Amino acid sequence: MLGKLLKKEIALTMHPIVPFVLLMSVMVFIPNYPYTVVFFYTTLSIFFTCLLGRENNDVIYSLNLPIAKSDLVKGRFAFSILLEMIQMALVMALCLLKQNLHMTANEAGLEANIVLVGFGLLLYGIFNLVFFLNYYKNVSKVGFSFVIASILFFIGVIAEAVLTHAVPFIRDHLDTNDPEYMSEKMIVLITGIILYIVLTAIAYNRSKKLFEVQDL
Amino acid sequence: MDVLEVKNLCKRYPAFELKNVSFTLKQGKITGFIGRNGAGKSTTLNSLLHFVHPDSGEIRFFGKEVRENELSIKQNIGFVSSGVNYYPKKKLKKITAITKSFYHNWDDAAYERYCKMFALDQNKTPEQLSAGMKVKYALALALSHNAKLLILDEPTSGLDPVSRDDLLDVFMNLCDEGKSILFSTHITSDLDKCADNIIYIKNGQILAESEIQTFVDSYKVVEFTENELNPKQKETLIGAKRSKKGLSALVRSSEAGMFNGAYTDADLESVMVHLEKEGNLC
Repeated sequence: MLGKLLKKEIALTMHPIVPFVLLMSVMVFIPNYPYTVVFFYTTLSIFFTCLLGRENNDVIYSLNLPIAKSDLVKGRFAFSILLEMIQMALVMALCLLKQNLHMTANEAGLEANIVLVGFGLLLYGIFNLVFFLNYYKNVSKVGFSFVIASILFFIGVIAEAVLTHAVPFIRDHLDTNDPEYMSEKMIVLITGIILYIVLTAIAYNRSKKLFEVQDL
Repeated sequence: MDVLEVKNLCKRYPAFELKNVSFTLKQGKITGFIGRNGAGKSTTLNSLLHFVHPDSGEIRFFGKEVRENELSIKQNIGFVSSGVNYYPKKKLKKITAITKSFYHNWDDAAYERYCKMFALDQNKTPEQLSAGMKVKYALALALSHNAKLLILDEPTSGLDPVSRDDLLDVFMNLCDEGKSILFSTHITSDLDKCADNIIYIKNGQILAESEIQTFVDSYKVVEFTENELNPKQKETLIGAKRSKKGLSALVRSSEAGMFNGAYTDADLESVMVHLEKEGNLC
């Protein structure tokens, strides 16, 4: 069933700009750029897909299919997680490539390293929690849900930029090229992974309940 | 076994309430579901399809409780509204390819047969289809997964008389094949032509559930002028309203005798219009 739901999301609901947005991952090669912003483009993809779904009456189409209401939520979460993981894989691969190119240090925030990936996962977790909990309260209010989630997302981006400059441990240990200080960085990455899983799982379970009781 | 059994369905909104809605559908019959705008038709249909959550009540399709058997029930029902309002810019073949992957009993040969019968071009998009063709596409989808029950929500609204007549022929042929149809509409003349039974909802309550002919035959229409009737006759009038010749009203067939033959047979529209005006003073 999950495969069918994903196929439906990709073939019918996905905004056509999504594959191009994933290519934004190459922005980690821009000198002196806040790389956490790269992750924002995937949240935009999720927003545009939900918006397009609303304009195309996706919910009505989907509820006519022999699937449960909760399967709609499952399909949308699977699609969003897939996008986030593809982008994360691209960013990780590009970070690895960049490390080997010995480019100049990033002055605008974290280096393109595994701490960036860990922090990106935390940002995705926060976005999933805030966006989907608002979206599944009322699937018509896509814009409102995205604005609220984006505000929190950018607070996270600003916090990362400030902390990278202000906190000596982050500046000297975490904001460095891999594989320097790998054990400290791995803790950040693993923490990011755990928080992403926990926040997304909370968002998914709560979203199913919210959507289930919603009158369409 | 009834195809659909609804018992004491209740749903309360701030400005509207569905009150103990109960009815049944028989297999192989077309059942008209009528009522004016806001009477509760859409809320009832949306409750059947799980678009809205009823506050209480029981819904059984093919003898199975809907909450526990939603997925298997949905494999056997088809919902057709007044048009395909989803994915207006996607080609029909793309929508169909995704849709069919969800159905166990999808029949490609049947789909091709219905597309040919309805002259549906697979390379067109829903926005390129006329209102009638949209309904036919939705019907083709519903019939190709062998739906045993079709729930039609105003499928003929916005269609020209010839297209409406074509569709009614399709519905009657489907009934001959053993399919059951619940047909919600405002166009009562469509039901006069094809429906076997009628469910009439008013202000969120079922006012009548009966064979259509029995329902219509239980009323007569009288036309009269202001001072023509005696008080006893006036007491029997239902829903008096202006008419071309003065006033008209329904009377129960059992009481029509007191009008000395000055009455005509009612049709579904006249019954509905007068019942909706019940309470008006003549």
